[in-house]
Amino acid sequence: MTKNNFTLVDVLRHWLMYPIWMLGLAITILIGLAAGIAVLVKGLSLTGLTDNIPWGLWITLDLSSIAISAGAFSLSAAVYILGIKSLRPVARVAVFVGLIGYSMALLALLLDIGRPDRFWHAMVYWNTHSVLWEVTMCVALYFSVLLVEFAPLIGEAAWMQKISPRLATMMAKLHHAAPLLAVAGLGLSLLHQSSLGAMYGIIKARPIWFKPDMSILFIISAVAAGQAITVFACMVVGKLRGRTLVDRSLIDGVARFIGFTVLGYLYLRFWDFLSMNYTNVPGRGESLSVMTSGSLQWNFWIGEIILGAAIPAGLLLWARTRDDDRFVMLATALIVMGVVIYRSDTNLSGLIMTIAYTDALSPTLVTYTPTWIEWATTFGVVAYGLMAFTLGVRYLPVFTAAHHEDEIEGVKELTPSAMTA
Amino acid sequence: MSTKINRRDFLRLAGTTGAALIVLGAKTAASAQASVTKESKHRWAMVIDQAKCTGCGDCTLACRASNDVAKGKEWNVVLQDKPVGGKPVYLPRPCMHCEHPPCAEVCPVGATYKRDDGIVMMDYNKCIGCRYCEVACPYGARVFNWEENTQPNDAVPQWGTPEIVRRPRGVPEKCSFCYQRIDRGLEQGLTPGVDRRATPACVVACPAGARIFGDLNDPESNVSKWLKANDHHRLRADLGTEPRVYYLAKRS
Repeated sequence: MTKNNFTLVDVLRHWLMYPIWMLGLAITILIGLAAGIAVLVKGLSLTGLTDNIPWGLWITLDLSSIAISAGAFSLSAAVYILGIKSLRPVARVAVFVGLIGYSMALLALLLDIGRPDRFWHAMVYWNTHSVLWEVTMCVALYFSVLLVEFAPLIGEAAWMQKISPRLATMMAKLHHAAPLLAVAGLGLSLLHQSSLGAMYGIIKARPIWFKPDMSILFIISAVAAGQAITVFACMVVGKLRGRTLVDRSLIDGVARFIGFTVLGYLYLRFWDFLSMNYTNVPGRGESLSVMTSGSLQWNFWIGEIILGAAIPAGLLLWARTRDDDRFVMLATALIVMGVVIYRSDTNLSGLIMTIAYTDALSPTLVTYTPTWIEWATTFGVVAYGLMAFTLGVRYLPVFTAAHHEDEIEGVKELTPSAMTA
Repeated sequence: MSTKINRRDFLRLAGTTGAALIVLGAKTAASAQASVTKESKHRWAMVIDQAKCTGCGDCTLACRASNDVAKGKEWNVVLQDKPVGGKPVYLPRPCMHCEHPPCAEVCPVGATYKRDDGIVMMDYNKCIGCRYCEVACPYGARVFNWEENTQPNDAVPQWGTPEIVRRPRGVPEKCSFCYQRIDRGLEQGLTPGVDRRATPACVVACPAGARIFGDLNDPESNVSKWLKANDHHRLRADLGTEPRVYYLAKRS
């Protein structure tokens, strides 16, 4: 590229891409908003959900949004509890992604519950025996933690300092609380990221779910997806801006850690799946065969296992591919996709077989097809997340962390590779 | 206020928080166990004799009328069971009113709960419509109001008149053992299971006498006597939900 000689690609890249991108997102959000209002007015009869499959696309959106937010707690814990201070720039991006992810989940939930006017009931009416109550409380509390963690980003922004220097300073000062917030975030996230899996794992009526390792599989896959989307975001923004925003050696360390995490997940998933084949629980075999050779087989083998876990784990663990930005971006994107499909398959595999509570009833396959209203709202929520991220990167110091050396004492400067060693 | 915290403090804080959570969790689990042994005055149960059931479906219609259930959203269904000796067998299926109801355990807001007398109830004003109960119920006893029920009830007045209000859109609903008839009957000094007005509508409506209802705490009640005199089983006993609906199998 020579100076003063713009090619069409340059024009696209520098002047047209941003407005086209934002316009596309705005249109998707508006369509989603219209569909969402239709759901609030007309109710859940607009969905493809039935009494057999009462949870569908929205619950997948919900679980996935929370999973991709797991980078925030895990990377914050790495910085402030393990003391891997150098990872702070990545943790900052992860916190921003996490805040957006949780807000997406809250939007999806609002659509999904039959009585959105009563969304606050879980705060007031407590059933402490319910895993879902615990999830709701943790999500609410952790969302508050993320808001406080996010506040310094606004406080440090130049436009905020112009609007109200005092408020900006106050917000920026909240970074002092970062270590404490990291502890709170770790506790809350370990609880609800796991219990989202346990939410399925404790359901005796659905034999493919009913197992103790659901919570473990959920949290491990969430950490992988959360860190993967953070790395992906760092790299994509870096490529678009044409400069490195996050030190490559940091990316390398996190990428390697993600690779090992996915490998660990695959290991657990293998034994989980294998052992289930030996238990002839009514309904479990039927659900398993839906995944291995039935209607979910492409999702499972290709989406979840091969493209979603095995290949990206290899790409991130092999030094030669990990050195190549394109492969790291591909691998992290595949991992996010794989975890989204895993959430969807988990939900569907349990519900897709009817319950047999007497000998005469054999488990039968039922189907669920999301309606266009469900798709439109889902795309709307995703577009909202992308727009929030785009705006944040543009107007907030997401990638340019101020240095706060006074934040933490006794933290050793470690190289990223020390994390996985 | 000093906000400087060193690493040891974090670990200590994290440890304390973790320990507190474990204690809290253990206490919750312990209280769950304790609630099982709680004494109550009545323990309502239903016995359904599959040998007598002819599959006529009158119970479904009586239920629809008394509880103002929408057609096709039945609380009480009659299913085809495995034939015995070449003859059809039927399986009427209300809510099982489990001793350990999975639906009540999972409900985040406690909208589904078990009364002391064993009836698993729905508080339709508390429910947020998350449908976790529907996912958790092993017996498919719940139906969700995907849309508002605005249809006239075709079982009224032939099969009875509505005794409870219609449920709004966005909440699941299910059989309640006609708690309204039991509670009102007890107030009037009647005996549920004996006096028709205090007995669930499906039991009263059954022309074959295939259903009986009563108090397990009363050894002289019909249910206690029937269960003592006959072999009986409960649906999916392996799940440990301990339903309060007992079945007498069809004898060949």
